[in-house]
Amino acid sequence: MIDLEVSIYPEYVALFGLRLPESAVIATAVVLLLVLGLVALNLFYIRRRFTAKPKGLQNLLELMVESLYNFAKGHVGDCAEFAAPFALTFMCYVFFTTFIEIFGLPPATEDLNCTIALGLCSFIMVNFTALKFRGLRGRLKNLASPSAVVFPIKVLTDCIAPFSMGIRLFANVLVGGVIMQLVYAVLPILLPAAVSSYFNVLHVGIQTFVFGLLFLTYTGEAVE
Amino acid sequence: MSAIGFIAIAAGIAALACGLAAIGMGLATSRAAEAIARQPEAAGKINSSLMFGLIMMETTAIYALLVSILLIFVLGAAA
Repeated sequence: MIDLEVSIYPEYVALFGLRLPESAVIATAVVLLLVLGLVALNLFYIRRRFTAKPKGLQNLLELMVESLYNFAKGHVGDCAEFAAPFALTFMCYVFFTTFIEIFGLPPATEDLNCTIALGLCSFIMVNFTALKFRGLRGRLKNLASPSAVVFPIKVLTDCIAPFSMGIRLFANVLVGGVIMQLVYAVLPILLPAAVSSYFNVLHVGIQTFVFGLLFLTYTGEAVE
Repeated sequence: MSAIGFIAIAAGIAALACGLAAIGMGLATSRAAEAIARQPEAAGKINSSLMFGLIMMETTAIYALLVSILLIFVLGAAA
């Protein structure tokens, strides 16, 4: 009989107490500094050396931005120029705040407050994009199509979407953490390294992609 | 039976939804593979819509897993 000592961090168990855990705040601050550093590096080092024929880091940046713009164009059509930067911002935030788990810091996305806030931000952006490009009339018409009967249902669906986005991201990261702890409890050598390469690297990438995809899909639904 | 036993059974039943979601994912993926075999040039579009469907299915499975984990770690710790 193995005596499992699995504990979700005590701060996070108080889900409905809405307490802001210190560790998540620290993690977010670290990530923000990191991202700001990368942006500064981009602005003052890489951008200065841009050439017509891309090489090195410029290649990577151009590939990232261009593929995201193409991806956004497929989902939101003419609003891609406006929506794609926001999608990339969300994706950067989700990726870095989750990825720092590999350095032993608690991921900020393992906190329900953080992910719900992310979901609400995306909700605001979706509606802002729709109002900017289609106007209030267009937005209401979109909600009332194909007939006025579905209006309340569509409004309800739109209002639940940010919470769904937040809770699914939170649950995914939490479950990854719980499984990692179980693995550590069962066999603390060798096996965690193998499992961690999925849960701390690949899984984070998938969640990041999913968050961006959901944001673009909801935007596409709002502006179609 | 003790309260902890009931909680364990409840957690097991809640986690059943994960298996059901897996069935749904299998059906969707098999259809997508058939569609790609029939029309390889539409692979990109099929893949992206498959991805969206898979995300929706995975969401329900994750909710079930979350319920089960909360049952074990929150209710189980209280019992």
